[in-house]
Amino acid sequence: MGSLSSLKGKLVLLKGTLEKLVEIIFAIIVGFVIAGLMMYMGGFDPIKAYAAMFETSLSLTDPYYIAMTLSFATPVMLTALTFAIGVRAGLFNIGAEGQMYMGALGAVIVASWTLPGPLYLPLAFIVGSLLAAAWGLIAGLLKVLRGVNEVVSTIMLNWIAFWIVEYARVYVYPNPIDASKTISMPPPGRLPLLIRGTELSVSFIIAIITVFIVYYLLWHMVLGYEIRATGLNPTAARYGGINPKKTMLWAFIIGGIAAGLAGVSEITGRPPSYAITTGLSNLFGYGFDGIAVSLIGANHPLGIIPAAIFIGALSAGSRGMQTTAGVPLEMVKAVQGIIVWALAMPGLIRLIRRRMIRRRGVEL
Amino acid sequence: MPRNDTIVYMKDIVKVYPDGTVALRGVDFEVKKGEIHGLLGENGAGKTTLMKILSGLLRPTSGEIYIRGRKVHFKSASEALKHGIGMVHQHLALVPAFTAYENIILGLPGKVIDRKKIEELMETTGLKIPLDAKVEDLPFGVRQRIEILKMLYRNVDILILDEPTTNLTPIETKELFETLRNLKKQGKTIIFITHKLREVLEVTDRVTVLRRGRVVGVVETSKATPEMLAKMMVGREVVFRIEKKPARPGEPVLVVKDLWVRSDLGGWAVKGVSFAVYSGEIFGIAGVEGNGQSELVEAITGLRRVEKGQVILMGRDVTNKPPSELYRMGLSHIPEDRQKLGLVLDMTVAENSVLGIHRLKKFIGKLLNMKWKNINVHAKKIIERFEIVAPGVRAPARSLSGGNQQKLVVGRELSKTPVVIVAAQPTRGLDVAATEYIRKILIKMRDEGKAVLLVSADLDEVLQLSDRVAIMYEGEFMGIAKPEELTEEQIGLMMGGYHMDQLKNTSSNRKVLEAS
Ligand SMILES: Nc1ncnc2c1ncn2[C@@H]1O[C@H](COP(=O)(O)OP(=O)(O)OP(=O)(O)O)[C@@H](O)[C@H]1O
Ligand SMILES: [Mg+2]
Repeated sequence: MGSLSSLKGKLVLLKGTLEKLVEIIFAIIVGFVIAGLMMYMGGFDPIKAYAAMFETSLSLTDPYYIAMTLSFATPVMLTALTFAIGVRAGLFNIGAEGQMYMGALGAVIVASWTLPGPLYLPLAFIVGSLLAAAWGLIAGLLKVLRGVNEVVSTIMLNWIAFWIVEYARVYVYPNPIDASKTISMPPPGRLPLLIRGTELSVSFIIAIITVFIVYYLLWHMVLGYEIRATGLNPTAARYGGINPKKTMLWAFIIGGIAAGLAGVSEITGRPPSYAITTGLSNLFGYGFDGIAVSLIGANHPLGIIPAAIFIGALSAGSRGMQTTAGVPLEMVKAVQGIIVWALAMPGLIRLIRRRMIRRRGVEL
Repeated sequence: MPRNDTIVYMKDIVKVYPDGTVALRGVDFEVKKGEIHGLLGENGAGKTTLMKILSGLLRPTSGEIYIRGRKVHFKSASEALKHGIGMVHQHLALVPAFTAYENIILGLPGKVIDRKKIEELMETTGLKIPLDAKVEDLPFGVRQRIEILKMLYRNVDILILDEPTTNLTPIETKELFETLRNLKKQGKTIIFITHKLREVLEVTDRVTVLRRGRVVGVVETSKATPEMLAKMMVGREVVFRIEKKPARPGEPVLVVKDLWVRSDLGGWAVKGVSFAVYSGEIFGIAGVEGNGQSELVEAITGLRRVEKGQVILMGRDVTNKPPSELYRMGLSHIPEDRQKLGLVLDMTVAENSVLGIHRLKKFIGKLLNMKWKNINVHAKKIIERFEIVAPGVRAPARSLSGGNQQKLVVGRELSKTPVVIVAAQPTRGLDVAATEYIRKILIKMRDEGKAVLLVSADLDEVLQLSDRVAIMYEGEFMGIAKPEELTEEQIGLMMGGYHMDQLKNTSSNRKVLEAS
């Protein structure tokens, strides 16, 4: 009996892991099928479209495609960290978008200075991430000192940041040669490319390193321990000698830095513009995509890497879908949206349910 | 084996949790119609698991369930409810912001909602509750009555109660037993989980004893003795009386002067309480729960604002200092609510084993990194010393049984090498052996010269352990005395609001009663 029940134990364990895997695969299939049906009804060949998508994102025939995928993965990997750190601290921080704008603005400010060449890069990263951290801190202070819900404040701060940066682009740092963008980062302040002729630069490596730093911080450092304790049970955290307010502020600051790095990377490491373009078009949306990436990656830094690459592949593949399969841009965007949210939905539902349960104080 | 009067028959039940923990290893469980059936067992024996399976909350890994002779497969709690099976959990699941009435009808379709029927039910069962009061304003005993009523309103006739008395005052417990006997008369079947042998002997007809996921015996209550039940549960003799040398108190370690503290609702919960706890003594606070004890403890341990007065720890004024500072000075705090305060349920056993001491040099390195090796060793030591049933240090605290969660909290706090120990309901939810062990440790700590402040709703516990005891009523102390100087009657009166001076001024207690 004993050995039989312990055998059953192992089987149950295996079943649990398999179920998680099945959930992900199922979500991917659902997303692709629904989006495929939509394309079909719109008069396009979904098989051809998906083939083109794969061909131009993950196929190994030309390193250019993989490079595209990874360069799209870079900023969303970083903004996903912002959301993930927030979730771990019990926050719904959706301010990565605005914080990323501020990070980019910081880099453009540095680009406008006349400096010895080697100083551009470090200063761009410092000023950009500090500016973004400060932007995150505003939401944090509002929450801690005034009890303002971070969802509301970060949404508002996103739009405020948008208009500040847009104003700065037009009136403070306009590019004298090209009216569609700000002044560009001078060549000494640009991150080297990993593969020549592509958009993939060292910023990808920086993002990966940042992911591991955040992982280490959350699971191997005191601050991470305190952040997680606060997020899971703020009352017990307080009992444990932790100051939940302080911990939350740190979560906003660190999240802000991650989003700031995304903004700086776009200016220092993304050809061809190395600047902020009209309507923030080369930045817009990465912050929101980061939320989806984080949800797909179970709000875990190490889950975020594959999730970001997946989203990067969808973005990179969208060009192939347009050119090879002739699917118009709007349809491509819709396809992307459906697939992304089909994957992110289970995580989002879990997260919201957990928050509601906590608020209502229902236990079971 | 099952006969005609068998209403519940569970056969060869095995339960393996998703993390691989084997909680039940082939359990046969039988309940007769119309009986009160006790379910006993050590912490982690599998009582809750077995009952969650019966009430449809968990599915067995294997085994069969027969209700009234018919084989059933429950996919959810509502299916079990259709068969008349309902469970009241140890951690109640009511919505605090709703009224009692709203909680009772929650989730029911409109056509079966009938306030009259609820009121009738209250009449016939004697379960009186204020239907329109908000649950958050009601004491625990009343909340539990709501849960029971909620089940009865759903036509439950097999009622499962998981440790219903752990949070009840003695009077509430008596009332609950009255209700249970009443329900039995009406033909209901009741399954009753508890760790208190006295309660088992008082109220049940038969008892099933579990140990480590197996049934070790089924006995008729009339033929059982506490010693025998304890031995069946634990597998060895259990000593009920605790040896205690006379205390040798030293310096005052914790001094509280004219303390005023508010409750969550804003009124005064503690009204000018003063006392001192000396090193080498156990100072007990007795009283019916909800008379300000929790707020007093929270104020002393830095979790609640002190409005007026002082808390002095080892000669230093620590009024309104944060918990972290108090811990550094040598405070240990066993909180009364392990799930809300004492543990982060979704963190691992190891992570929980250092909560509050996680910034000690032993546990963090130069990079402010956690020294997991040391933390794991620390957690393993606590598991061994307190015989915690846990699959490992990396298992989430949530996966521990209720009693083992409590052991983890107590173990952590007592491992701190404290100067003062504030222990609120330290043995709540613990089995007899663990209770005995923790009481012994508290006395050992006292003998080592530590100051112990003990708050407990268990009168036997406070009187047995304390060297001096204060009785608290509506935020004030009715008196402080040595337990042996007070009669049970006097304590009862003080718990009901009589001041000790009033008792001493009259020749007999009866006169006081007559005067009132
Ligand atoms: N959700 C879970 N995941 C994994 N293991 C669990 C879970 N819940 C309980 N267990 C394990 O199953 C065993 C039985 O637990 P159960 O809660 O049934 O004990 P119990 O008899 O009710 O104990 P107590 O008196 O302490 O409440 C324990 O070893 C416990 O650690
Ligand atoms: Mg239990």
